[in-house]
Amino acid sequence: MTFLSPWRLARLTVRPSEAGEHLAAATPEAHDVILRLVLPLSVVPPALAWIGGATFGWRLGGGEPLYIPAGGLALISLAYFVALVTGFVSTALVASWMAGTYGARREFGAHLAFVALVGMPAILASVAHLAPHAFVNMLLLIPALIWCLYLLYRCLPAALGTTPEQGILMASSVVAYVLVAFVSLLGITVVLWSGGIGPSLGV
Amino acid sequence: MPAGERYHDRVAGWLTGFAVLWSLLGMTAGVYIAAELVWPTIDFGQEWLSYGRLRNLHTNAVIFGFGVSALMATAFYSVQRTCHVPLFAPGLAWFVALAWQATLLAGGASLLAGWTGGKEYAELEWPIDIAIAVVWVCFAVVFFGTIARRRIQAIYVSNWFYGALIIVIAMLHIVNSLAIPVTWSKSYSLFAGAQDAIVQWWYGHNAVGFLLTGGFLGMLYYFLPKHADRPIWSYRLSIVAFWAFTYSYIWAGPHHLHYNAVPEWVQSLGMIMSLVLLAPSWATMVNGVMTVAGAWEKLRTDVALKFIVLSLAFYGLATFEGPMMSIKSVNVVSHFTDWTVGHVHSGALGWNALITFGTFYFLVPRLVGAELHSTRLANWHFWLALAGVMLYVLAMWGAGVSQGLLWLSLDEIGELSFSFKDIMASMAPYYALRLVAGVVFLSGAVLMAINLWMTVKGRVIVRVAPPAVAESAA
Repeated sequence: MTFLSPWRLARLTVRPSEAGEHLAAATPEAHDVILRLVLPLSVVPPALAWIGGATFGWRLGGGEPLYIPAGGLALISLAYFVALVTGFVSTALVASWMAGTYGARREFGAHLAFVALVGMPAILASVAHLAPHAFVNMLLLIPALIWCLYLLYRCLPAALGTTPEQGILMASSVVAYVLVAFVSLLGITVVLWSGGIGPSLGV
Repeated sequence: MPAGERYHDRVAGWLTGFAVLWSLLGMTAGVYIAAELVWPTIDFGQEWLSYGRLRNLHTNAVIFGFGVSALMATAFYSVQRTCHVPLFAPGLAWFVALAWQATLLAGGASLLAGWTGGKEYAELEWPIDIAIAVVWVCFAVVFFGTIARRRIQAIYVSNWFYGALIIVIAMLHIVNSLAIPVTWSKSYSLFAGAQDAIVQWWYGHNAVGFLLTGGFLGMLYYFLPKHADRPIWSYRLSIVAFWAFTYSYIWAGPHHLHYNAVPEWVQSLGMIMSLVLLAPSWATMVNGVMTVAGAWEKLRTDVALKFIVLSLAFYGLATFEGPMMSIKSVNVVSHFTDWTVGHVHSGALGWNALITFGTFYFLVPRLVGAELHSTRLANWHFWLALAGVMLYVLAMWGAGVSQGLLWLSLDEIGELSFSFKDIMASMAPYYALRLVAGVVFLSGAVLMAINLWMTVKGRVIVRVAPPAVAESAA
């Protein structure tokens, strides 16, 4: 399928109506989407974060940058990659599970491709990781996330073959899942910190 | 049904108007104090404009002005329709509506003057506390009096939630406000030390539980089926969720006191009951989502339903995030950071405000028997609200996690790596982002106020008669 390339998908993010039609016409296999989109896209942010963190150190504010040892940085980047792949796959699983309720198509491959499309702006904005300052990253990632939301609401009905009204309901349910998944990730990370894995904290 | 009998909807209409005004006032105060955290000098040396006073005005105006006025309006509106009788003691209902506004005005002025009891969400001093208790008991008389006169045997689930709100808030407010007055403007709590802290957070957390959650679930259970024009997906689940919610919420307060001078087992019990709370909270979310999923055609004509759908998403987030943050190993990092502020606002803006906006867009046109003035404005409001709350939550997550990490970071000799002052100075960009989020959210609320005003302008409240009740239902 033509859109099963990161470059093509990146172009579709700025053409939402075309993106919906492309995805609607396609019946991609799940393993194809994983190999050609999910895995390559999931490599980008951790790789950029690794380069930025190793070169400049992370600035969260409050003085000198935090330099994490090379081994720790590699481990964090690997965990980031796993979290992204899990995020793509689990969101697609949840969306295909919801599809019956909202009258949408149920093929897992189509959901994976749609989730990859929606996540694309955030992947592109992860170029901010090269300048590892927490606020700079937020400044670039927040507009990108708003664009992700726009793509979700705008493209879902066409891409997954449901009515615009059911599309709004399904998109809102996906937003709920993603928010809960993200905050769970924050929670798990903090529990690991408290348990002594990661930065040296006085807890 | 006696001839000429009509529902008393004017009082609900006025309370709705008061709620809209308080939302604008409270959110404006919030935006102003957000700006003060970016530009600290904009208090211009005036005590009444200082962060410490305006912050209390902000929380009291949005919770008790906007939130409670909206709850009173919707409770009065829905209890009549679910019981098929007009309000009991309508004169007393007017007293409740007007006295509540007068009490809050006096309370707001007292906060600006620097009167404070020093307890969060319970800052008002004893004369105002007594006035609140009197008005609240009158609210209970009107509400339960109406239920006692009902012509429908079953008590609909929304009334269970409103009833729990009225009873529990009375109990919390009266116990937590017990104090020894010293002057008109100063009193000291009857409790001291750790006991005072436990009572305060028993109050504080259950105000969140029974007012900001339970009360608004009453709103959801009445207005969502009305919007959707179909019954709630599982009535049985709603009743199970109500009792599970009521039982488990009341224990959860001590999670606000982790790593403080209260017994370890009290902290752990608070954490465990907070985790248990996830089950009834999400049962309600599932019930709401499934109710609306079967009524998707309504979205074509009912812009307000979008607000309710989105409010359910944020309800899901807030009721998941809260129990998660009560886990002690999460709380050790998140406590006292802006992560908590983000959590509170994902609930307050994303759940409470959005469901109330959706309800007002449904209620106000029906009260005056007219179409909503502008669906386009309401759509704009929806997108501004979504953008505002997302920006807010993301900014505070970023700030909060950074604070938690930096405050606790140790260097190689075991000393704190960063100074508190430097960390807080570096938060300015996040606070600027939060200010933008607040302005975006507030501008949506202004659009709503204009839209609702144009809808009611020149119109009067429609007088509606209760329907005849079949013998089998009575």
